[in-house]
Amino acid sequence: MNSPTFNAWKLVSLSPLPAWALVLLALGLVLGVALAAWGVRREPSRGRRILLWALRVGAGVAALFFLLEPGIRHLQVARMKNRVAVLVDRSASMSFPSEPGGPTRSAQVAAFLERAAPQFAALQDRFTVEMYGFDPELAPVTPASLANEPARAGTTDLLSAVRSAAGAGQGSRKLSGVLLLSDGADNTELKAGVVGRARAALADLNVPVSTFTVGQEALKDLAVEGLKVDDFAFVRNSLTVEVEIHGRGFSGREVPVVLSQEGKTVASKTVRLESSDDVKPVSFTFTPDQTGRFVYTVTVPTFPDEAVADNNSRSFTLKVIRDRVRVLLVVGRPSWDERYLRGLLRQDANVDLVSFYILRTLSDDPGVVNDQRELSLIPFPMEEIFDTKLDTFDVVIFQNFGHADPSLSIAEYERNLERYIHNGGAFVMIGGDSVLGEGRATMPTLMEALPVAAAGPANPEPFTPRLTPEGLRHPVTSIGTGAASTEAAWAELPPIPGANLTTARPGATVLMDHPHLTANGKNAPLVAVWDYGRGRSMVMATDASWYWAFAAHRDGSPNRAYDRFWGNALRWLVRDPDLTTLKVTADPPSVEPGRPVGVVVQARMADYQPAQDAQVRVELFSVTTQKPVAVQTGTTGADGVVRLEFPPPAPGPYKLLASAKKGETDLGSGEDAVAVRAVGPELSDASVRPELMEQIAKVTGGKSYKLPQDGLPDVPLLDPPVVEVGRAKDQPLWDRWYYLVALIALLGAEWFARRRFGYV
Amino acid sequence: MSARRLTRRNLLLGSAALVPLLSRRADAFGEKSRFIPAVARHGGRWDLRLSGLRRIAWELQRRTSVEVVPDARPFALGSPELFEYPFLYFGGEGSFPALTEAEVANLRRYLTYGGFLLADANDGSDGDGFDSSFRREMARVLPQNPLAPVPSNHVVFKSFFLLDSAPGRLLNKPQLMGAMLGKRAAVLYSQNDLAGAWSRSESGDYEFDVSPGGEPQRELAVRMGINICMYALCLDYKDDAVHLPLILNKRR
Repeated sequence: MNSPTFNAWKLVSLSPLPAWALVLLALGLVLGVALAAWGVRREPSRGRRILLWALRVGAGVAALFFLLEPGIRHLQVARMKNRVAVLVDRSASMSFPSEPGGPTRSAQVAAFLERAAPQFAALQDRFTVEMYGFDPELAPVTPASLANEPARAGTTDLLSAVRSAAGAGQGSRKLSGVLLLSDGADNTELKAGVVGRARAALADLNVPVSTFTVGQEALKDLAVEGLKVDDFAFVRNSLTVEVEIHGRGFSGREVPVVLSQEGKTVASKTVRLESSDDVKPVSFTFTPDQTGRFVYTVTVPTFPDEAVADNNSRSFTLKVIRDRVRVLLVVGRPSWDERYLRGLLRQDANVDLVSFYILRTLSDDPGVVNDQRELSLIPFPMEEIFDTKLDTFDVVIFQNFGHADPSLSIAEYERNLERYIHNGGAFVMIGGDSVLGEGRATMPTLMEALPVAAAGPANPEPFTPRLTPEGLRHPVTSIGTGAASTEAAWAELPPIPGANLTTARPGATVLMDHPHLTANGKNAPLVAVWDYGRGRSMVMATDASWYWAFAAHRDGSPNRAYDRFWGNALRWLVRDPDLTTLKVTADPPSVEPGRPVGVVVQARMADYQPAQDAQVRVELFSVTTQKPVAVQTGTTGADGVVRLEFPPPAPGPYKLLASAKKGETDLGSGEDAVAVRAVGPELSDASVRPELMEQIAKVTGGKSYKLPQDGLPDVPLLDPPVVEVGRAKDQPLWDRWYYLVALIALLGAEWFARRRFGYV
Repeated sequence: MSARRLTRRNLLLGSAALVPLLSRRADAFGEKSRFIPAVARHGGRWDLRLSGLRRIAWELQRRTSVEVVPDARPFALGSPELFEYPFLYFGGEGSFPALTEAEVANLRRYLTYGGFLLADANDGSDGDGFDSSFRREMARVLPQNPLAPVPSNHVVFKSFFLLDSAPGRLLNKPQLMGAMLGKRAAVLYSQNDLAGAWSRSESGDYEFDVSPGGEPQRELAVRMGINICMYALCLDYKDDAVHLPLILNKRR
């Protein structure tokens, strides 16, 4: 058996006596020395006095030596190794060249670690050196893996990496230091610099972080950054988009900046970059003219020698909604029906009302000499409203408007109106004694676009309209909070005096009908709707819906049925997103590169009940190439909702075109837009930030360096504070004969001196 | 006030003028959306101008595209049937007793939910007679919305004819008074006996002379009546942006 190797020792007491006994004996010795001193205090000779004191003290010390039994304890000791973490940035910006034409930033780090390998090995005596890449999760790396595996992480989070390193490692070993190798292009907590809570968090680590900045600041790059735009905008209202053009190495260059909507240029500007690292704000103000969700892209040209080309454009989606519904109300003649509808539309802040009333026909004689000066009448601008401006209206309402008189007949514009509806417009025909089979103006072309056809003379008998099963759930007639509430609300209303006799066309949805007036064996519709082409139309086959507005108050209780009915009708006509049968929503509307495109489809039946088990088909359509990219299908659940996902497509703007069927029933179609970004925040700004790396080192007590370095410099590291004890062996010191002789000699000498001097 | 002499010629002319109205279907579809004046039956002399209302309805039919049913329909102010007639004429000569609470409440509801009231002091009173009683009752019906002069730029002065004043049989006050509910004039009040200028006897003669302006003033009173009816039917239509430039140009 080999004797153990001791590498440390210490002096110890080997006395078997307990500590208190040793203390008592030591006190006795001290008392003895003191008494001896007291006894010779009158000795006139200073030399004798000192001699006697010295002998007694020496004897006391010798006695104490025997009492304590001193010995040497031989020890085997070892220091516990603390950790040193080497953290290497694995974000995508580390794939950029460290200098123009040079190796990548990651490769430069790998080369440095290779060169510093001997110094790291030397550190192994006192420290365990752990080498991690962060993306931002920590994962072990080696110089070889750094050189071979490209950095891909979408973010740089230096603080998170350092925090993770402090908590990682083996057992309870503490961290003595961090070596952080990065380009400093942090885009999370330290994006704004080492300030505030991030600064406190770094200081609280109590670990020196020494930083090694890789990459040169002189990178040449043009980037679209700092996009500021609202999530939604109002149609026909101006909107401002703000971006920052960050140019490095483009001093004195003029750069065109273009804003486009799905390939169509919306606006463009030119900015001049003044310095080699300049940020210029650019704002575009434009007016969207259509509702829906669209992908917009801000683009700057890509120059041949740029470090990153992907950050030269930035896409975003914008939901354009209507602020006010623009309604054209054309009235055949003033009536109470017109008066209450006007009152309602005028007080609705969401409605922009443009109205034209026929106040006088050719057969009317106002009894004036000078029409121009005595009458307030204006010409009826038929061409303007039914031709040039027709498309600017969201809804056109004809209220008992039907004139055969050539000066007021719209025969010439009927096709315009029919096309307007077919192409996505909305139209309402309100009955009366001049339309829907009454009067002489039949308007056959326009009638093609309506859900009913005239079926005979009107009936002037008062009646209480009947809500059909479809009307019970349809958003137009659903004026209560549920089916029962809706039914009760309609039942409270007074009878209305008469209706036009019409019959529903195939495909029309009758929401309310006459309880006993029939045409072709079916109850005559009172309110009917349908989709015509991409548009919608509605017929109210009476001129007395104003009874719901005014006569409904005769019994004293306020009644808002009229307001709700017409409010619902307008929302349905303009396809309020909440009232569509197939709702398509990109989830999310803007997708980071490499992430899948999600879409949520909500399908409802014609009566607006959730469509369970509906077959949904969604096409991912590239706006750039004008070609479908992928198709996904799915089946809705009990709530009529299904979520589908497409594999990550190439960057660019896309449309999500959805259609749904339940059995043979077509549930309609819908669409949304999604922008797949070319670059995430990581690549949109690839600039090296040495100042951030310096601040990190300064706050934590580390040092900052720039790569390349020949080897590992002398970085500050905390010493391992903990000692580990191995084996021990005691070696007595007191059991030597000469210690006893010395004690006896001292005591004897003192006795002899005392006798000699006359004290004994 | 003096009635005009009835002549055979006037009788024939008046009868002929009413022929187009009488020839219509008595219970035609759309009748309820036509202009039918209702008349307030109160405790005073309320029925002195029924012929004037018939006449103004006829003038409305003749001069504008509005379809009318000319016979005025009298109703007690507490009647729920009022709510089928959004135009209510409230005239009288001399003071009248206070309305009942039910009548006040019904009239308030009528005006609040969209009814229109044309008040007309047939006696041309100012501070006494009908004027005193009507102002007293209006203070009960719309206590928060007192009568105030209607400015000359109000839409009622351009709702069909371009007018500057509101004369009636008399010209005591050139302007109307009004009670506004929001932006809507729910009540217009003339102290010039508007309907007196419109009234014709069964023979077709005007019932009263018009002073001080004579027949031109009567024509203005008729035009004012038509404008008031048009306002009740079309509200602020003539204040729409599309009309303003043309109307301003005409007024120059």
